Amino acid sequence: MVLVAAATRASSTHAAPPAPGEAAQTLRASLVQVQIALRNNPRAAQAALTQAREAYAALADPLRHYAPEVDETVRTALTDAEAAFRRGEATAFAVARARAWTSLLHGSYLVVTGAVGAGDIATAYNWLPVREFRRATRFARPNADATLALDALARGATEPRAALQAIHADLLDTYQARLNAALADLATADARRFPARRAESAALAKGYFAILAGAFEEQRGAAQRAQADELLEALLASALTGDGVPAAMAQVTDSLRGFRAAPLSEAEQARRAGQMMRYLRLVPIEYGRGVRDGRVTIDLEIREAATFYEGAQAAFDDLRNIFEARDSNKAAQAAAIFDLLKRDITDAGEQRGVAAPEDVRARSDRLIALLAELIPAEWSTQNSAADFDVIATALDQMEQAVARGEYGLAESARVEAYAVLESGPEAKITAFAPQFKNTIEGYFWFGHGDHKGLAALIQQKAPLSEVRMTRRLLDAELALAQEALKGSDSPVAIATNSGIIVLREGLEAVLILAALVASFRTAANRHLRRPMWIGALLALIASLLTWLALRGTLSLFASLGEKLEAIVSLVAIGVLLLITNWFFHDVYWKGWMANFHKQKQHIIKGATGQFAGLLLLGFASVYREGFETALFLQALTLEGGAAVVLVGAAAGMVLVVAIGLAIFALQARLPIMKMLIVTGMLIGFVLVVMVGNTAHTMQVVGWIPLTPIRWLTFPHWFGLWFGTYPTAEGLALQFAAAAFVIGSYFLAQHLHKRRLRLTTHSA
Amino acid sequence: MPSAPAGPTAQPTADKNRPTSPADLDAIKVYLVGKSNELKRATAELKTLADRYYDAAAVTNFDYAALWSSQKDDVVKLVQDARAAWMNASPLYEQMEGIVAGTPSLAEYDVILDAGASKEEGGDNVVPFDLTLPDGRVIEKPGNLFGVSESALWGTFTDFTAQGIVADFDGDGQVEFSEALPDAHVLKAAADELDRYAGELLAAAQQWEPTESDAFTALVVMVPTMEEYFASWRDSRFVKGDQSTQRDFVAISRLADIQDILASLQVVHAGVSPLIRTVDASQDAQIEKQLAELKAFVADVHRQEQSGKRFTPEEADLLGKEAQDRATAITGQIAQMAAKLNIKLEQ
Repeated sequence: MVLVAAATRASSTHAAPPAPGEAAQTLRASLVQVQIALRNNPRAAQAALTQAREAYAALADPLRHYAPEVDETVRTALTDAEAAFRRGEATAFAVARARAWTSLLHGSYLVVTGAVGAGDIATAYNWLPVREFRRATRFARPNADATLALDALARGATEPRAALQAIHADLLDTYQARLNAALADLATADARRFPARRAESAALAKGYFAILAGAFEEQRGAAQRAQADELLEALLASALTGDGVPAAMAQVTDSLRGFRAAPLSEAEQARRAGQMMRYLRLVPIEYGRGVRDGRVTIDLEIREAATFYEGAQAAFDDLRNIFEARDSNKAAQAAAIFDLLKRDITDAGEQRGVAAPEDVRARSDRLIALLAELIPAEWSTQNSAADFDVIATALDQMEQAVARGEYGLAESARVEAYAVLESGPEAKITAFAPQFKNTIEGYFWFGHGDHKGLAALIQQKAPLSEVRMTRRLLDAELALAQEALKGSDSPVAIATNSGIIVLREGLEAVLILAALVASFRTAANRHLRRPMWIGALLALIASLLTWLALRGTLSLFASLGEKLEAIVSLVAIGVLLLITNWFFHDVYWKGWMANFHKQKQHIIKGATGQFAGLLLLGFASVYREGFETALFLQALTLEGGAAVVLVGAAAGMVLVVAIGLAIFALQARLPIMKMLIVTGMLIGFVLVVMVGNTAHTMQVVGWIPLTPIRWLTFPHWFGLWFGTYPTAEGLALQFAAAAFVIGSYFLAQHLHKRRLRLTTHSA
Repeated sequence: MPSAPAGPTAQPTADKNRPTSPADLDAIKVYLVGKSNELKRATAELKTLADRYYDAAAVTNFDYAALWSSQKDDVVKLVQDARAAWMNASPLYEQMEGIVAGTPSLAEYDVILDAGASKEEGGDNVVPFDLTLPDGRVIEKPGNLFGVSESALWGTFTDFTAQGIVADFDGDGQVEFSEALPDAHVLKAAADELDRYAGELLAAAQQWEPTESDAFTALVVMVPTMEEYFASWRDSRFVKGDQSTQRDFVAISRLADIQDILASLQVVHAGVSPLIRTVDASQDAQIEKQLAELKAFVADVHRQEQSGKRFTPEEADLLGKEAQDRATAITGQIAQMAAKLNIKLEQ
């Protein structure tokens, strides 16, 4: 046999003993070779068996030191294997082989953790490779936490306790995955009637559980541990005879249900709870889209519902222990509803019977309500990490839909992902990591820099490779933003966040309102303040109503955010252009000339229009930011609670009002000529910023094209506060707005001088 | 027909700022482009033969009984030549599959050419295209193109096979396995598309700028797929004989494919080996050794099969489990090295 030959060569040419990892692999592979050669080639089998014993001899010393009882188990298993080999019993050999191997893994676990505890880093380092890994898939990679922790410990970059925690978590998590895989293999082997594979899988399951048993006992007590041991022993007995395997499996599965060997940290528990609730909310939405008139109309939507269901179910399994400790009755009810939902989705997927979408929604709602009662209060706050997880899942589905050429469904998944972003982390990104906001939005929508956005790619039915490219860029930005947001979950951070949002979003509105109100200070136009105040007040009420309406329906409206902002901004710009024109040609004119009598008729004629215009300006100036502010604050409310958010928002509002009053007071003190110039400049400035921001928003949602100017870069705060971004369209529109303002001023001056000349001439 | 996946452009990676990498990524690209070129030539040959078969069938207006009775010898030769061309092309792809399937920006070609499932099979890996036949019929999501052409050429799927004809190739009075004529429309459409996508893959390979992340991701994604390959071998004719219902993997044993895939992964490992050695030379040596041993293990099983040993399904299952365990151990070590090097493994 090749392996035996290779191993023999290796042992004869290397003087130094093999590293523990290498020796362990030789032991395992040799025992498999014995199994393969058992019947047909006893000589090769004997050679491989000798090889296995030699390999173990190289491993035994540290095992005897750190885990003497395991050393004994391995030796007994090897003796049993040899006896089974002599008898030619493949099944008994498979069991002994599995026991020897899993005992060695157990021993390595004890050596590594014991050595770290004893400060013997070298032994820990040598023995860590004697381990298994989670099986890598296209979507999951093996964990490297234990290796990195040991590295950090060796460098002195971490404490032994923290390193041990990471090693425990990594290894226990791995062996729990292997236990589950062994149980799945057992079911398959039983169905295929492979007796040796069936017995081997049962023995592997028993061996993996032995590694986890300490954690199991710690969580569930000695009695339950003893019961689990008995059930696994019974499962092995069933597997050896082939009788009653499914029933024995069911008992083992039941006894392990909800057990998680590597307990989740508090933060991870909250994250899983967040995932569970978010995934569950998406299940009926996707299901409803896939079913019409009692039949499945869109397969992929049902598959998406299944994906979200599986995500929720996995999170529930991880947390079930905790739920059961809180209220076992409710936990059982929740588990039963999970089962019903699974049946609904599976049946629809297999076209066996299609539950009505309303029934699925009702079940989901009932489950969500039940889980909300089970979830500890401190987990109920929104968790950004869970949001990022759900965004990733929705984007995965978008990719899958593109791969199938289902671009409509891909767009729906993209919008779903964006809605989660907008209704959750975006508020925090806006406040704490604003440098990522535009890039992320660009990749989600119509592009950033040289790269097209996902919305544009889906609209153009771009190939999967292009979609994947943008997705990878988006993922990188999201990861950076997520990293930047770490530590921003505290109440102080959330309150600060709310304050900054209110301040920034409110500043534009207050600038324009204060400037205009201050300019309406003559008796003739003081009445014009009223419509602006009314408009602003109405917008505040509308924003408040929006905030209330968004409760519980955040994700449904979140995706509308940019579009609504663009529409209201366009209205605001339109009105502001009129006001600018009117300001320079009317108020400016009248205030400067004090030609009240001459203009009186004109003002009265235009009074209704002015009233409506100013009311609309007051409304649009405030509400254009109000919707998004309401959205962000609602997202923060989910995370930090209403009280914390309101404190922050109130502080922000106080600052906004103070700035408004300061501008108002400053302008009120200025001589009328200077006041008018300052007001004109302020209006012009706000108009240019508003045009820039609106152009950017319209580029995000794809309403105007996006031509990046590659050689031009602005710091992110520049775009944030001045609405200036390096795109040809944005800059051109801002330039046009500035030209309009300056042009209006000079036109007014020109007309004014002409009028003066005419007046002088006629006099 | 679907629009082709565009060739990848710049790759965003976590390691783009690494100053000078000791990894020899160019060698991986040179290997991939070389194999892609060979594949393109081989698929062009298959396309030529499929066209000739189609033209011959068109003469009889696709009356296969008439074709068989009038040109039996020519037709048998054409089909056998086409099979030989297929058997030349398929391993060439397998020899680079490890890189193509394991690199996210190229992986779509793997689904299209060799790994994608049909609509009926379903699952997460259905091919993204429909096959339009020369007569206007459309086969929705027919499965990967090597699989479609293999099923047509070896007659393992009735829908892709000429109807109304008993094609006793060797004239022994019995119609045995693979004695069937392909549906000329299906064969031509599949061969055309295979050749077209092989051309696109070549172009994409030429544009590809491999990164360290690409190389490590390919290793971590592809090495541990052993069990899947062994499962398709276990369920194939090579193990189950006539009891097998599998449509593809009938012409070449999956064991040969696995060795080819591992060979391509050895090329990838050789590319990143200098980099791994900078953090752990002994671990790199162990990865190299275990990869070679895994390939030798598969080669040994293949040799036994070629010498006439018929493995039982349970033995095949055990061998698959062992290959998978070895592969998982190798993958774990590679993932540890990637983590130490702070190289991101793409999802």
